[in-house]
Amino acid sequence: MDYKVDLKPASLIDPRTKLLLLFMISVFVLGGAGGEKMTVFYWILVFVPVLLLLSERKWKLFFISVLVYGCSYGAQMFLKGDLRPWESVLALSVYVIVKFLPAVFMARYTMATTKVSEFIAAGKKMHLPDTLLIPVSVIFRYFPTIGEEYSCIRDAMKMRGICLGGGKASQMVEYRMVPLIADCTVIGEELSAAALTRGLEVGIQRTCIWNVKLRFLDYLIMGFCIFTVVWCMIGGFFL
Amino acid sequence: MIRFEHVSFCYAGGSASLKEIDHSIKPGKITLICGPSGCGKTTMIRCVNGLIPHFYKGDLQGRVLVKERQTTDIPLQKLSRYVGSVFQNPRSQFFNVDTTSEIAFGCENFGMKPEEIIDRIEKLVRQTNLRSLMDRNIFRLSGGEKQKIACAGVACQEPEVITLDEPSANLDHEGVCGLQKMLALWKKQGKTVLIAEHRIAYLLPYIDEVLIMEDGRIREEMTGEAFASLSEEELHKRGLRGKTFENAVSMELPPLKGERGKILLEHFRFGYKGEKVLFDIPRIELPAGEIIAIVGGNGRGKTTFLRCLCGMEKRCKALVTMNGQTWNRKQRLKHFYMVMQDVNHQLFTDRVLEEVLISQEREDKEKAMEILGKLDLEEVAERHPLSLSGGQKQRVAVASALASGREILLFDEPTSGLDHSHMRQVARLLDDLKKQGKTVILVTHDGELLKEVCTVKLSLEDLNRKADLFSYEAVQQGT
Repeated sequence: MDYKVDLKPASLIDPRTKLLLLFMISVFVLGGAGGEKMTVFYWILVFVPVLLLLSERKWKLFFISVLVYGCSYGAQMFLKGDLRPWESVLALSVYVIVKFLPAVFMARYTMATTKVSEFIAAGKKMHLPDTLLIPVSVIFRYFPTIGEEYSCIRDAMKMRGICLGGGKASQMVEYRMVPLIADCTVIGEELSAAALTRGLEVGIQRTCIWNVKLRFLDYLIMGFCIFTVVWCMIGGFFL
Repeated sequence: MIRFEHVSFCYAGGSASLKEIDHSIKPGKITLICGPSGCGKTTMIRCVNGLIPHFYKGDLQGRVLVKERQTTDIPLQKLSRYVGSVFQNPRSQFFNVDTTSEIAFGCENFGMKPEEIIDRIEKLVRQTNLRSLMDRNIFRLSGGEKQKIACAGVACQEPEVITLDEPSANLDHEGVCGLQKMLALWKKQGKTVLIAEHRIAYLLPYIDEVLIMEDGRIREEMTGEAFASLSEEELHKRGLRGKTFENAVSMELPPLKGERGKILLEHFRFGYKGEKVLFDIPRIELPAGEIIAIVGGNGRGKTTFLRCLCGMEKRCKALVTMNGQTWNRKQRLKHFYMVMQDVNHQLFTDRVLEEVLISQEREDKEKAMEILGKLDLEEVAERHPLSLSGGQKQRVAVASALASGREILLFDEPTSGLDHSHMRQVARLLDDLKKQGKTVILVTHDGELLKEVCTVKLSLEDLNRKADLFSYEAVQQGT
């Protein structure tokens, strides 16, 4: 059987567009820039990550996001008017969650659907310096590793009987962090050595087998983003 | 093509690793560098691929010449086009998350045209049977599969020289066979290959030259044929592993004699969420007080079996009965102890003694020192666990298990990547535990360890297939 590398772009939009959206959501949803007059844009930006997750068939993430959105907005509707103390605490935490969620889902989407190599290629096209790009791409690669290491350590602790109820709770954080940091340092060093022997270095002219280019949907989203920013500024003159 | 001219090297802050090496590596040949741990194998490899002096700093004397040029004068980026490297640890040599990008990674860094890279990948997939591994998430692959991808990535760069540093340390029989195929391909293509390795058995059909090192020096040079004709004793005398390339799964051990206690396992059924069931064993009796080896290929669930045994997998509802006591999952966490393959994960404190003390029900320094004494750890009681050697760390983990009074000790691949004398050391440790009346259950693909110390061997495949036979003897005999 002959094998052909599948060069179809892995996701609907380009890594640059993903980054732009992440930026927009951070500014307008998390940061709440523009206030009242941005309501329409606010809600569009809130639902962009959910739609993107749906478009990539990331079912699990999609359902989680819908569920969490539903619960938090539902809670916000009920927690209005005169609130008892504990209710206001709840309302405050729901408010924080609702503010953060879209950015979190967008970041999750970006991580789940961008190949490291696409990310570097896109960064190069944006003329980002290697000294920024290479570390950021390593972080991409590092998250799952940290997760793996962390769960190993957690298991080891369970076996030693060092858990919250074990009477040694104060040491838990230290016990967890020391081996984790030690592991990650070793892995980091080995990873750098391996990457260097494969020709990765600052300032090289690197190619990329994946097709990283802007398509219609990317331009559409970028247009929307520009419009949002302009609306935010012009709106300020009129109101 | 590769020449060492009076090369000595000393890592920054360490002792001398290479002493006066003067040697030419034969071009187009496969050279094996072997010797006991710490003999300088890895340092030799690092001198050739340029990580010394460009990445690992230290005092380098003499000259290492690659392609008539001194490695100190060639930037690593240039050298990497010429020398490809495969490393020991499959989990830390990947830059990408998907396999296809990873294979292309080197070529992309060299600025090759995308079409050309894709041609190379497609050719490589044809030659080496990689199809099933393409377009996959590397984090979901087994160790053997990861190592295949690492080799493929190097092969795709088509370097003239390939260095491998203990590539088989984490591989099972099947994984090693995959590595052999890669070597056969490189041999046919006339590449210069340099391998540092403890497990030599699988390499015998391919190697042309052998360098046996000791204490930073090349002690002996011989041809592949001369090396293959050495006897087991002659190999062990040089601190090397044996040369029987045996599949641990198919090895036979003599049957146990006499009566002994039993450990009864019930309802051992487990599969990860959304994946197929790894094992389903309704009831099996294991002998207590023995050293039981569980064997089977990579990815068959050996480690998961141990995790279920000691109660780490919440979704496994198994029960274990021993000496009339039945333990559920939570109770097993207190009676079983697993020494993980990467023992760094389970050492938490800043002192070896502390490690033992926190495991005791009531801290008792005298008793703790006694345990450390039994395991040859008295002298290091005040040291930081992470500063110890691999074998010592393993023993510290065992010490903490003994301190908490566990009856059953589990070991996950206790001898991967160890040379002959260290493997023997682990074997002695296991034997001591047995003499203290503990039951040891380990998973391994190390045939030599199996022969050396294990008293019972069970393959996970057999346990599964003959799940209706309730005694281990019956499973072993295959009736």
